[in-house]
Amino acid sequence: MANNQFFMDNLGFRELLNMSIPAEQNAIATVADAVADKLKDLSLAEEKQLEIGLAVQEALANAVVHGCKNNPALTVGCCVMSDQNGSVLIAVSDPGPGFDATSLADPKMQENLHADHGRGIYLIRQLMDEVKFERGGQEIRMWKY
Amino acid sequence: MDVDVRRRAQVEVIRLRGQLRLGEAVDALRAAIDEAVAAGNSKLVVNLAEVPSIDSSGIGLLVKAMASAKQRGGTLKLVNPNKFAIQVLRLVGVLNLFEVFDDENAAVDSFV
Repeated sequence: MANNQFFMDNLGFRELLNMSIPAEQNAIATVADAVADKLKDLSLAEEKQLEIGLAVQEALANAVVHGCKNNPALTVGCCVMSDQNGSVLIAVSDPGPGFDATSLADPKMQENLHADHGRGIYLIRQLMDEVKFERGGQEIRMWKY
Repeated sequence: MDVDVRRRAQVEVIRLRGQLRLGEAVDALRAAIDEAVAAGNSKLVVNLAEVPSIDSSGIGLLVKAMASAKQRGGTLKLVNPNKFAIQVLRLVGVLNLFEVFDDENAAVDSFV
């Protein structure tokens, strides 16, 4: 989960939420809905709230399904921060093996259009302004300015 | 998520209410579609008017269900996706795969 260096790197952001859930699909809504409530409190534009909310949903789903292989004995963490300008920073972490974010297939390629998976990280990159992967892919950090 | 399934003129109309996302919501829609297709009903209309957001697992399910329905002579059509759902479907390049209607009756009638 986000460590002290993370907060040092993001001075000016204050923590709004820090939650952990067991790595099971039906627990994702608990965090996603809590994040949505915090975004509402910030009075962000509705479109911005929806975009951040979906990015968080995708990051949590990725952590639960791929990072933790749906193992409820493992824990997924989510930290939400904002600054006085309304920028939002979210970190989602899992204890899984990580992955190479540069090696993902493009879901918009013709051969992938009909696939039933493989769009989550792509969507996050489209919806957020900046996305970074840390610790070999165990943690995703995403910013909306 | 609420999933309401009705049969109208040989068409399975599935109305959703709530976020279409990984977990119970996607599982419920998948069960409804699987049941319809298993019963031989491959003409599907999914009404998204009361769905504020669709995640990638929901998109994957809709795409897969459409392909499955087409293999059986039908297809899956969408009704009233909101602005954000359209934006997301377009972002991942699948919006043009679907016929999209702003009226449920028109979607049902289009099968005739």
